[in-house]
Amino acid sequence: MKQEISVLMDGEMFEDDAEAFLDKLKRHPEARADWATYHLIGDALRQPDHVHRDLSASFRERLQAEPTVLAPRSRQPQKIKQYAFSVAASIMALSIVAWMSMQINTEPTPQMASVQNSSSIRPASFQSNDYLMAHQEVSPSADVQGAATYIHTVAEKE
Amino acid sequence: MNFTSLKFTSLLLLLQLLGGVALADPLLEDSDWLKTMAFAAHQTNYSGVFVYQSGGRVETSRITHISDKDGEHERLEGLDGLRREVIRNNDNVWLYVGGKKVRVEKRRSQRTFPALLPEQIQSLKDNYQISQGEEDRVADYHAHTLIFQPKDKLRYTRKMWAHSQSGLLLKAVVQDEHGGIIEEYSFSQLTIGDKDIDRKWIKQDQILPNSKSIEVPNVAQKLATTSFWQVDFLPSGFRKVLEINRTLAEKNNSVVHMVYSDGLSGISVFIEKATGAKNVTGLSGRGAIHMYNRLAGDNLITVVGEVPPRVVIQVADSVRLAGE
Repeated sequence: MKQEISVLMDGEMFEDDAEAFLDKLKRHPEARADWATYHLIGDALRQPDHVHRDLSASFRERLQAEPTVLAPRSRQPQKIKQYAFSVAASIMALSIVAWMSMQINTEPTPQMASVQNSSSIRPASFQSNDYLMAHQEVSPSADVQGAATYIHTVAEKE
Repeated sequence: MNFTSLKFTSLLLLLQLLGGVALADPLLEDSDWLKTMAFAAHQTNYSGVFVYQSGGRVETSRITHISDKDGEHERLEGLDGLRREVIRNNDNVWLYVGGKKVRVEKRRSQRTFPALLPEQIQSLKDNYQISQGEEDRVADYHAHTLIFQPKDKLRYTRKMWAHSQSGLLLKAVVQDEHGGIIEEYSFSQLTIGDKDIDRKWIKQDQILPNSKSIEVPNVAQKLATTSFWQVDFLPSGFRKVLEINRTLAEKNNSVVHMVYSDGLSGISVFIEKATGAKNVTGLSGRGAIHMYNRLAGDNLITVVGEVPPRVVIQVADSVRLAGE
């Protein structure tokens, strides 16, 4: 089995064999674990700085091992708040885990769009010339561009 | 069989060697290009028309630069819309709008950039992937291209086209992290050298009546200034190159002006006593330059720089009184 996994990962298995083997893989959970381990090894060899580990299983285990608190209910309202907070924290932790495990198999999520598109930014006002000119006197970009940097000063009085 | 493969290998080797020599010869070291460009910007006489594009706007301007025994003289004239003109004579800068003088600045005479310090070059290399692109032609001049690709998202990508012989900047493009063009500056017509150069304007502005100029203290005084202000957030590689107490053009109040540079872009932090909430304008910008201001107690903090908008905001938000 392990031999076959390795052959498949190297792309050296014939197509028919691969299909049959993948069927087999689906039916055997221990083979799936091997499959994941082999990929982890491969990732570690290729990119030792970016090893992804499936955290969801170990996290679930530890969560199940946590004792269930059966203390009498307190009348202090802040306890409820605390509880609510810890639930919120667990949900957050779970969603982080869910997100992380998604990262294992999918492409990296697209980066958040940049904060602003330059065309959507309000144009500098005439009053800001004080600052623009003072900045341009000392900015390193003036050294290769010369007076052309003063193109950034504003002509119109609003 | 063995013999032919040996012959083939040595031929490859020879080709590689030749290729290596042919490539290395005409190229300067990347940081040397910057020095050459800064030198050319100050020492070359030129006159031409350039096109500036940003955010869907296109402007045409005429620029003249003369370096003679009296120093440096520069003139920038907007050719579209309301007449705008900037004249610089050594350290004095005049701004005219619609034919009227609206502002006079005293420019700092000691510039830091032409003498790129070794640590600035190191900082450039730490924060940008510097490479040379394909040779090109701009305004009929042969150009070498330099690309500064930042290693983080806290600064812009810059492409520069430098005249192969003099190093004069012929074209410059600033791009954001997605490759979108923030601004582009490019000569459409250019004369390098003294030929047909107009010098009449140099005299003209020297006899300007009682122009009120803004004094900037000399270098020794500048360096002695230590402010109580601290800037906690700056992108890596930005070092403080200047800190002065100054006045801004037509205002009389004193302003703390701190300047940070990564060798290619600058960030200015201005701190002054606030005169009212009306001056708080938040984020604004023009091309690659962004500006953000906010109130911090009684003080107005203004940050200006050739960096993405979120950086000027973050820098402004991180300014605090030392010890607080």
